[in-house]
Amino acid sequence: MSQDRSKEHFQELAAGFLAGRISRRHFIGQAAKLGISAALLSRIMTSGAYAADSNLIDSSPDYPNESPITKERIAFLKNKPYKGQTINVMVLKATVGDGLKYWVPKWEEETGGKVNVAEVPIDTLHQQIFSDLQTTHKYDTYMTGAWFYGDFFVPKEPYIIDVDPYLKDPKYPYWNPDDFIPAMKTLYSWQGKVYGVLFDSDCQILYYRRDVLEKAENQQKFKDKLGYDLPNPPKTTKEMHDVATFFTGWDWNGDGKDDWGISLHAKVNEQGFFHFLTLAAPYVCSPNNKYFWFHPETFKPLINSEGHLRALEDYVKFLPCGPKEAISWTLGQGWTLFLAGHAVMEPTWGDLPTFAQDPKESTVKGKVGATIIPGTSEAFDPIKGKWDKFDLNSVGNVNGGSWHCVISRFSKKKEVTYDFLAFMATKKNALYNCTHGFTGVQPGMKFEYFPPVGTGKAEEWVEQGWDGDEAKRYLDAYYQNLSLPAQETYLRIPGAAEYWHELDVRVSAVLAGQTQPKAALDDCAQAWERITERYGRDKQKKLYAESFA
Amino acid sequence: MEATASVQSKAERGFKYALLAPAVIWVIGLTFFPILAAVHYSFANYVLGEGITGYVGFDNYARLLTDSGFWYSIFITVLYVGITVPIEVCAGFILAWLITIGLPGKSFFRPVLTAPLFTMEVAIGYLGVTLFTDQGGLVSALLGAFGIQIPWLSTAAGGLAAAMILDIWIWTPFVFLMSLATLSAIPNDIYDAAMLESSSHWQVFRHVAVPLAWPVLTIAILLRVIEGLKSFGLPYALTSGGPGTSTQLFSIMADLTTIQFTDFGRGSAMGIIYLILASVVISYFFKQMRKRIE
Repeated sequence: MSQDRSKEHFQELAAGFLAGRISRRHFIGQAAKLGISAALLSRIMTSGAYAADSNLIDSSPDYPNESPITKERIAFLKNKPYKGQTINVMVLKATVGDGLKYWVPKWEEETGGKVNVAEVPIDTLHQQIFSDLQTTHKYDTYMTGAWFYGDFFVPKEPYIIDVDPYLKDPKYPYWNPDDFIPAMKTLYSWQGKVYGVLFDSDCQILYYRRDVLEKAENQQKFKDKLGYDLPNPPKTTKEMHDVATFFTGWDWNGDGKDDWGISLHAKVNEQGFFHFLTLAAPYVCSPNNKYFWFHPETFKPLINSEGHLRALEDYVKFLPCGPKEAISWTLGQGWTLFLAGHAVMEPTWGDLPTFAQDPKESTVKGKVGATIIPGTSEAFDPIKGKWDKFDLNSVGNVNGGSWHCVISRFSKKKEVTYDFLAFMATKKNALYNCTHGFTGVQPGMKFEYFPPVGTGKAEEWVEQGWDGDEAKRYLDAYYQNLSLPAQETYLRIPGAAEYWHELDVRVSAVLAGQTQPKAALDDCAQAWERITERYGRDKQKKLYAESFA
Repeated sequence: MEATASVQSKAERGFKYALLAPAVIWVIGLTFFPILAAVHYSFANYVLGEGITGYVGFDNYARLLTDSGFWYSIFITVLYVGITVPIEVCAGFILAWLITIGLPGKSFFRPVLTAPLFTMEVAIGYLGVTLFTDQGGLVSALLGAFGIQIPWLSTAAGGLAAAMILDIWIWTPFVFLMSLATLSAIPNDIYDAAMLESSSHWQVFRHVAVPLAWPVLTIAILLRVIEGLKSFGLPYALTSGGPGTSTQLFSIMADLTTIQFTDFGRGSAMGIIYLILASVVISYFFKQMRKRIE
């Protein structure tokens, strides 16, 4: 009995320490009283022992661009430690690249260092990163999509370095990977080690026009037409489709033009297939199954399972609920329709509500609701080959790039490089990033969320121009998605971009009516087999297993 | 005396070789070596991060030859070239002829007609998105005013047609400039004599201008066919090869395979097959043109 109480007490202590509620010193002292050995304590402490949190102060007038900041850091910066040193950074030519560039002059001013930024379009970024890693070693760090990770770990000695040693040194800007929402930390890590430095944290949720769904007139019309209450917000894929269909083809915003139920960005060779992944998650993943991509034992593709097929059929049904041209729309075009007030819903990334706060970009500030991607009442377990019934199967996702920088093993200026990356990851700067649309950054740290799940404050978001209630709705839904018990696993193996491309072109062909869903997915599975053969089935299987770790 | 001549001859030979050397090095380094490297890779299995993991014989070729996507990309490319080049050649030549025979506004039309030629294809591709979008695009709006609605960017036919229209817009000026230079070089006496004989611009166009300009037009056609077979920037910026793979020209497919997915084995095999096909087509084309000139 006594032993059980001690165990419970220790678990509370450990949880408090890891969540940052109690200090390191207090944790060690109390744990020692419970008779926990130093060896065990050292193992527990390893993951959380980042920088010198005891020396952390809220801010320094000399260095206003970092907060919080350690005393060691303040001392270190006194002499412009990186004067005369230049680092080369390769970034994605997109909003996230702009987000990184925003911090360059601030860091240069503070440290004396210099940053050269090369911007590369998404369609050649992967090739350019790995070309540099294999040949010239010109760049010190690369902005990577999370799906490139597998490729970094193909050589015996990975192409990138883990950042743990730097995290423990208080002279660098302070950020703590333990603040990550766990689903996000996975994307920045490989086999338990952190390789990426905080920047972006992507997932898709559903954004909708709260004012439109709340309008009594619309609710009545919906009920008259469909025989049940207008779901506000939709909780199942079917409800989402009913809402999308209902609001398509009539002028519900009173501007004299017909409007739409949903806005999609479905262009091929862009990011359109993420819609399919998001829709497919609750048809495939569930409390009974976590495998979405490949069979863990045979490494055969699961992409043509009955669950995936159902999702693709759904995707086809959603297309007429938006402009036909959405099939060739990029992200920006899809967002514009929603921000201009012509679509009721859009399943997409957090850029949308962030842009919605800008009156120059948006007519919908304060009117945007957010919810997790609607679920399903059944899911196909592709491992057992059967459908399972659920009251509601909601599945979270981390779909997207979660763009962030990793440091090249070949860099001769790893410390300088890490310093710059960590500078952007400090609490103040990370919060700035995720509250401003131009940075393309979404929140992935606990301090960006509000209590009880996080330590952030609504005022911090309001100060950055947000509608406080809208921020709360957005963050609640985002967090709920990231913390759902059932999650769609992310593909992080070599050739992930190639597997996704084969899926992408086939999904697009189905949307264009060139082929049927079943034939497209069967064909995709065959293409995936060819890719697997090229990379080597056993190697892929091993890395697939490791990518979950 | 003989010895002196021999030394001189050797020196001359050496000088000739020295002059030839840069060209030879250029050809070996930038033509033969890359082709040999491509042939080598085409028989290999290449994996990013590991390099060549083994040799697969003709597997890469065999798979391509049975890949409907590969043949579709070739079909689309041939269709693209087959439609755009004849229109560009005819339109470019006729415009040049009209300017030559004294169409009013010559000084206005010449720079206006040639402007697209100096614009980047990729930029025009992106411009095309704004022109052809059915969400207020200029072309869609103009046609819409006449009750014509064409789904330019959401269907295979629409996307391909939009890309072709832009291609014609960019490249017609190229043929126009070459034709204008040729037609301007024909002495006025010949035109005058022909006009006296026939009194018809059409007869002069048909029996004088076309035959005399034909050698230069042949070069223009050849250059356009070669460039057309390599078209990439414009269609990629406009549709990214979609919807699906419906506007995926060969060059886009090759880029995706080789550059984006670093499948150098398959990509090299694609390049070699395409090189052979293109060489056969262009050789045949050349032969026919030469016959016509002779």
